[in-house]
Parts: sequence; C-alpha cells; structure tokens
Amino acid sequence: MADLISLKEIKRHYDVGGEVVRALDGVDLIINPNEYISIMGPSGSGKSTLMNMIGCLDTPTEGIYEFEGELVHKMDDNQLASIRNRKIGFVFQTFNLLPKATALRNVEVPLIYANMTKNDRIEKAKIALISVGLEERMHHKPNELSGGQRQRVAIARALVNDPSIILADEPTGNLDSKSGVEIMKILDKLHSGGNTIILVTHEEYIADHADRTIHLFDGKIKVDKKVTKKRQVST
Amino acid sequence: MISLFWENLRISLGSIFGNKSRSILTALGIVIGVLSVTLMGTLISGLDRTFEKSMSFLSRDVLIISRMDWFGGDMDWWELRNRPRIKEDYVEQLREKSQFVAAVAPMAERGGSIFRGDKRIDTRFFGTTPEYMATNESADVITGRYFTDGENRSGARVMIIGGDVADALFTDEDPIDKYVKIGSHKFRVVGVLKKQGKFMGMFSLDNQAVLPFGTFQRLFSRRGWMNVRVKVNTDNYDEAKEEIYGVMRQIRGLKPMEKDDFAINQSATMEAQYKAIKLAIGGTGLFITALSLIVGGIGIMNIMFVSVKERTKEIGVRKALGATQSMILGQFLMEAVLICLIAGLVGMGLAGGLSLLINQFFPSSMPVGLAIGSIILSVVIGIVSGLIPSYQAARLDPIDALRYE
Ligand SMILES: Nc1ncnc2c1ncn2[C@@H]1O[C@H](COP(=O)(O)OP(=O)(O)O)[C@@H](O)[C@H]1O
Ligand SMILES: [Mg+2]
Repeated sequence: MADLISLKEIKRHYDVGGEVVRALDGVDLIINPNEYISIMGPSGSGKSTLMNMIGCLDTPTEGIYEFEGELVHKMDDNQLASIRNRKIGFVFQTFNLLPKATALRNVEVPLIYANMTKNDRIEKAKIALISVGLEERMHHKPNELSGGQRQRVAIARALVNDPSIILADEPTGNLDSKSGVEIMKILDKLHSGGNTIILVTHEEYIADHADRTIHLFDGKIKVDKKVTKKRQVST
Repeated sequence: MISLFWENLRISLGSIFGNKSRSILTALGIVIGVLSVTLMGTLISGLDRTFEKSMSFLSRDVLIISRMDWFGGDMDWWELRNRPRIKEDYVEQLREKSQFVAAVAPMAERGGSIFRGDKRIDTRFFGTTPEYMATNESADVITGRYFTDGENRSGARVMIIGGDVADALFTDEDPIDKYVKIGSHKFRVVGVLKKQGKFMGMFSLDNQAVLPFGTFQRLFSRRGWMNVRVKVNTDNYDEAKEEIYGVMRQIRGLKPMEKDDFAINQSATMEAQYKAIKLAIGGTGLFITALSLIVGGIGIMNIMFVSVKERTKEIGVRKALGATQSMILGQFLMEAVLICLIAGLVGMGLAGGLSLLINQFFPSSMPVGLAIGSIILSVVIGIVSGLIPSYQAARLDPIDALRYE
C-alpha cells in the first residue's frame, strides 16, 4: 500500500527576536494507513509543531511533505483547507469547541465547510456523536458538558468527515484519569475500525495504547520503535 | 455554498444579538446616517412636488412689478423704504409703451376680516380690474361670475371670494347674492373662486377675496401696497422683461446712471430662489449624512476589528476544520453587512415614521427609489467598512490563531 504520509528532511524554524528556534530540525517519517502512533518527548521538543505540520496547519521551512502522494508544501491555502477538511481530524488538548454552539452544531461544522446539505449533515453528525456515546447530550452546549464529554464531542467532530488520519495532541492532558481512559477506549475502537491515529502524550501508559512510539528531542526523532509488549487490557 | 451562507448568517446573527448593547451603539451611526439621508431626500422630494404644484399659480409668462424684490437682493432696507409707490396709471402707460403686454392689471392689496353675521374670517383682499382674470391662468370663477367694467368704474360693492372664505362664511348655503361685511362696508358676493390649495403646503391660496379696483380705491387707502401684474404675449420672457424694465425706468423718470427703484418679479425668480434653498438644504443634508455615515462606517470597522480579535481562536478552530480564507472573509463580511443592513432598515423605518409625522404640517412622503437606495447604501457601507477587518481575519495564520488566548 502507498504511504499515507511521507516527511523528508522536514525543518520548521522560527525567528524569535533574531534568534532561530529550530522547532523541527530534519524530521524523516513515513506513516502507513491504519497505524497507531504515539509521539512523546519533553516540552518544547517539537511535538505540536510536528502534529500541525502533518495536519497541514503549518508548512515546512524546508523539506518535502507528501500526503497520499501529493506534495503538501506546494499547495495553496484552498488546497490545504480542503485537505484539513476532508482528510484530517484534529483533537486538541483544550477541546477547542465553539462555545455558543451545541454539540451537534459543533460536529456539523466540518460538514458545512464540505458543503453538505443540512439533512445529510445532521444525520452524519448524529451518527458521529452516537459513536462516541453522546446521543443523550447532542443538544447541550460545551459549558453544560464535562471535560471528558467535551473531548468526546471533539473526537466526533474529528471523525465526522471520515478523515484519513486523526491527530490528537495531548487529548487526555486536560482530563482526569478516568475520563482519559474513556477517551483512549474510543481512540482504540477507532483504530480497530480502520482509522489511522497519531497521538501526542506525556504518559507512558497512554503511549502504550499505540503500536509505534516516536520520541522527539530538540526537533529531531531520537527513537522510533514498534511497541512490542502486548497491549494492556483497558481497565 | 448555500449551507455556508446560512451558517454565516447564523453566526452573524448570533454575534450581533449576542452583544446587543455593543451592536446597538455601533449601529447608531448608520441609523442616524440613513435616517438623515432618507429624511432629507423625503423632504426635498416633498418640497419639489409642492413647489411644482404651487408654481402653477405663478405662470412663467407673468411679470409682477412691485416696489421690492421678493427675495431681498442686496438692497438696504432704508433705500427700499424710500422707493416711490407703484401707481395706478402705470397700468395704462405699460399697455401703451410696451409691445409685449398681453394683459395688465393693478393689484392693490390689504389684510382684514370679512364678517357675515357672527361668522368671521381673517383674510387678504385685493382690488383689481376685470383684466386680472386674463393675467392669471389659475384663477377661475366656479360659481357666479366675475365683476364687470361697469362695476369697476362705479365702485360697486361686489366681491369674489376664495374657497376658504366661502367655506368659513357659508357652511351649507350658496354664497351667491348673499351679503358680507368688511368693517362697516357691505358687499354682495357675486362669485366664488376655484380652489387652488396651499402654496408650498404652508399658506392657503384660497383665503382671499377680490374686489373691483375702483371700489377698493374708494373704500380703502389709495396709498396702500400695490403691484402691477403683466402677462406678456411672447415666449421670450427675457426680452419682454428687458423691454418692460426700460418702460418702467422711463415711467419712473430715472436717469441712465440711477439705480432701479422698482422690481420686476417673476416665478422664475422664485424658482431660482427655491433652487438655492434646495441646494442649501441638500448640501447641508449631504454633508451631515456623509459625515454620520463615515463615522458610522468607522464604528462598524472598529467593532469588526474587535470582533475578529475576540474570535481569533474560533477562526483558528474553523481553519483547522477546513474553512478557507474566503469562507472566513465571507463570515465576517456578512456580519458587517448585516449590522449595517439592520441599521439601515431601522433608520429607514424611523425616517418613514417621521415623514408621516412631518406630513401633518408639510407635505412629504418617502419615494420608493430613495428607500431602495438607502438600503443599498447601507449594504455598501457594510462591505466597505467590513472589508479590512474581514480580510485580516481571513489571512490569520491558523496556528497563531489557535494559540491565541
Ligand atoms: N509560533 C511560534 N513562534 C516561535 N516559536 C515557536 C512557535 N511555535 C512553537 N515554537 C517553539 O518551537 C519549539 C517547539 O514547540 P512545540 O512544538 O509547541 O513543542 P511541544 O509541543 O513539544 O511542547 C518550542 O521551543 C517553541 O517555543
Ligand atoms: Mg505541545
């Protein structure tokens, strides 16, 4: 099967007050469909930068990025927006839901940008919310939901457009461990359903859910290994 | 794109009604601007129609020779006061010496009250000759008759009354051959004039009475205010006016270097004056309007910058979910246009209400074109003032926007 994602010598440099910050400093990475990858590393090592790069929110200073065989670093804003819309599902540490919209409407947003008709949109959004166990909470606004529930809305929003890859940047970072476990159960389920998932985490036991772990250090990949130990049975 | 349109509409309405007091304050400038533009337009169009209607009583081919210009000119009051009166015999002299006179009539005028039993009306009455009817196209006797040359010469106590006078003194009766009184003098009503309406909607042209000139001279002051009304027999009003100026100077015995000590008025002078007034109202209105619309537009722009800043994170999220730059641009542009549109509609509604109110005193009604125009105008202001903030929103870097707190 063709590579889903291919990064070659990717660099992302920031100019901060005349000083160059090398957030990514030569990253080579191949990701295949249905992989389950965790990214670890100290704070400031470039994990989020790498996720944003993969998610087409950011473009590299140098290097070649191919997504499903297409050169991302040459795309214009509309093409990038279209990839973000149809191919990528983002889950953020801080949920990033629209505060004034209900769970259902939040999940509908990517479908609106995909120009789907209202009825199809609502149906798809409902299915996504049901798949994360929120059928009872569809018409609640974010401030009426717990942290775990908000993150589940965010996951529903990420998967509603049937993306090629789900990117979760510290999805459990703002949650208590019980909610965190629930979120990981959902991600595990999505993976066994055929989705490709990359997740950033500081926690060893969260990282152990993945099949492959990447360690970043100072913008470079230091470790890239298959997780050999048998996955723990979730508690 | 239809679903995006509704979504943007929904977001915009949410934003506008979610910040009610802010939106109201912001929209105020546009409300005032649209209010003044529509009100001004309404007034001017009302003025125009009234003026045109009113002007028909002053035909273009009628010159009115009086002591003073209707519209002041630059004469000082003292000089005007010392000008000699217009005299009765000018009528015949003008007829003799000018080749352009089709009809000419004196008009001696004064104010006073006409009584009938315990009924009374304060009015203006004037003495003139039967030829007056030939100098005034809009004056017409609908019941009864005009007075005759004989009655004029003999100073008969007969009177033609205007519609208002007839209404005031004769509620249900036929006024013809009934008697009315001015002071102690008794007059027989022989005719009623056709109604002409109000001049500029302000003073009635029907509150008047006409007496034979001879009668007027005998009963009232010979030294009262007098004009001579000349109807010319040509389309070349300027030439006629020029010639009559010459004749009048000759009648007055003015030396070539001396200034005119009389004035020739014409509806054209009134028209010119009216145009100047209209221009002044229109100009002031335009200035106020432009100013308030600019201030309003700046207000909208300002609030849109605030709105973009407040929603930076939301913009980042939307971009992460696949919104393109033009989608974000559309969202904020829609908001700016919607505020302006709502403000424009409110302003127009207020103007419509006010013009109904004003209509009680002065004829005015809002032309449809103006209403449509002001709505288009508010949309344009929305686009113009929303463009820069919306563009700024559209161009935000998704990551910077997402990191914004
Ligand atoms: N927009 C930015 N401007 C300047 N420096 C940045 C920016 N984004 C990230 N960085 C820097 O790049 C490095 C990597 O950041 P990040 O990818 O967020 O790390 P992590 O997610 O691993 O904690 C850090 O040193 C950070 O300060
Ligand atoms: Mg990070």
